[in-house]
Amino acid sequence: MNKPSRLRIVCINVVTWTIVLLVSFPLIWMLLTAVKPQSELFRIPPTFLPQRITFEHYARLLSDTPFLTYFGNSIVLATATTILVIAVGTLGAYSLVRFRYRGREQLATLVLFTYLLPSVVLIIPLYLLMVKLGIANTLFSLVLAYTTFSLPYALWLLRSFMAEIPEDLESAALVDGASRLGAFWDVIVPQALPGIISTALFTFILAWNEYLYALVLVNSDSSRPLTTGVMNMLITSFNIEWSLLMAASVMMSIPLIVIFAFLQSYLTSGFGVGGVKG
Amino acid sequence: MVAVTFEKVRKTFGASVAVEGLDLSVADGEFVSLLGPSGCGKTTTLRMLAGLEQPTNGTIRIGERDVTDLAPSERDIAMVFQSYALYPHMTVAENIAYPLKKRGVPKPERAVRVAATAKLLQLEALLDRKPKQLSGGQQQRVALGRALVREPKVFLLDEPLSNLDAKLRAHMRTELIELHRRLGKTMIYVTHDQLEAMTMSTRIAVMRGGVLQQFATASEIYRRPANAFVAGFIGTPSMTLASASHRGPTKLAVGGAEWTMPDGHVKSLPMGAALTVGVRPDDVLLGSGPHRALVKVVEPIGHESIVLIAAEGTDLTVRIAGDTPLKAGETVPFDVRGNRLHVFDAESGRRLNNDRPD
Repeated sequence: MNKPSRLRIVCINVVTWTIVLLVSFPLIWMLLTAVKPQSELFRIPPTFLPQRITFEHYARLLSDTPFLTYFGNSIVLATATTILVIAVGTLGAYSLVRFRYRGREQLATLVLFTYLLPSVVLIIPLYLLMVKLGIANTLFSLVLAYTTFSLPYALWLLRSFMAEIPEDLESAALVDGASRLGAFWDVIVPQALPGIISTALFTFILAWNEYLYALVLVNSDSSRPLTTGVMNMLITSFNIEWSLLMAASVMMSIPLIVIFAFLQSYLTSGFGVGGVKG
Repeated sequence: MVAVTFEKVRKTFGASVAVEGLDLSVADGEFVSLLGPSGCGKTTTLRMLAGLEQPTNGTIRIGERDVTDLAPSERDIAMVFQSYALYPHMTVAENIAYPLKKRGVPKPERAVRVAATAKLLQLEALLDRKPKQLSGGQQQRVALGRALVREPKVFLLDEPLSNLDAKLRAHMRTELIELHRRLGKTMIYVTHDQLEAMTMSTRIAVMRGGVLQQFATASEIYRRPANAFVAGFIGTPSMTLASASHRGPTKLAVGGAEWTMPDGHVKSLPMGAALTVGVRPDDVLLGSGPHRALVKVVEPIGHESIVLIAAEGTDLTVRIAGDTPLKAGETVPFDVRGNRLHVFDAESGRRLNNDRPD
């Protein structure tokens, strides 16, 4: 095979980096704007790099606004949704893969039906349901609502991961003395960990970034997550607090970056290799 | 004392019958092989004994205890799987310790027993490794270790050697025989390899289509196969089975020839009864005799030669010690040992020889 020419390598790199910069430009602009002084934000001609770095916007965001309340709500909301989806999803996927009962395949297909409908169609009945349950305008109502659209995908993703796990492993655990649930915990969960982590990441991001359901189902500051809280706080018909908005955006991105950085190795490591011969 | 009993055990999967009316008793300390072709029900039988499959009908006992409806963890059995089924996320030590952990054995005692088992199977240097870092033979020993550490009543082994290369398989076969001799435990071993079954077993249960064909020692099965299937399945090279008909108390018509046998060799039969006659490769004598055959194929193996001859409509496999000067295309006289012929009913396959006790 011929080595690609130097010119070709340079062209590929130029094109690739151009795309990277174009895609990441909003992110870079967000980071830079968040540390620019207010006076520099709308200067003509605009400055790319800040002439003076300031953290005043972060300080104001944390001390003068209910940002931390919203942040805490989002953490609780995303974490609770993720835990619930993972708990129900892993057991549900295990049932779909390992147990034989009438209607199993139909049930697996049926759970995807929720994705055929647009969110706006489901939101009114969901709201009325939450009111009837007496949990309207609470974080718990958002947890339940987010679970309804995260769980089907979680079931399908986890189902495909669990189907790859050889049945012999569970059989061995049962013979070795484990109960059914014990075999699930000792064998299935560790083997399905990359799938569980992928599902958890997907669910967390979904719950963290969701806006429409949060807008409709919750309208008090004490229960608002970051998405609607920041919008409500910083964007009005007359004014957009760009500096605070950029600072808030940076802070909203941090948990996701941290989680990705921490969990990425689990996604790429070779779990399950070598335990079963042939 | 009986270690394991199957009483009229039946297993169906929908309309398909995997095991039919199995009656089998394994004595304490026996090494019993369940032998048969793929799909004969041997693995299903083993899994029912392990509690991984529920019998449709019948009873399974371990000792005096009816275990038919008991969970696998309550049966005091250990199992080695064909795939070894080692837990990939655990080290070798953790794999071996797992059954003890599940039974609440305290940690210090677990460590002692794991160390002892590792020493027995020469796994001491591998205790901190994960299964993916082990060779096939090492993985197999870890799977054995996990079964041994619990000291169960019965060991179940589901084709544990089938994933090993031929040389390692021969070595592990010897190790298993030695292990059984040393431990004296009841072992039930599933295999499709008759060499494994014949060399390792106290008795062999030959199965076909979910039905037990014969349950006897290797010698008995080889010398007195209960039916035509067992006769053709056991023995390498296989016994030649040919269509024949009864021509009198000492005569059989086989193809275009007439073979003789001693008077009283078979049960009383009507003249012309349709039969199947079986003859082992060792019982065909080339070089002299009343019959003539065309040599079709000569396969020199080294210590012996396998010769395929065509004799008046019947192909016979012959084993000759050492090399042979015979060449394909030659005509050779031959005879068969009449007192070693196996005669079966053509329709049912049932053995018709008058077998005298040893």
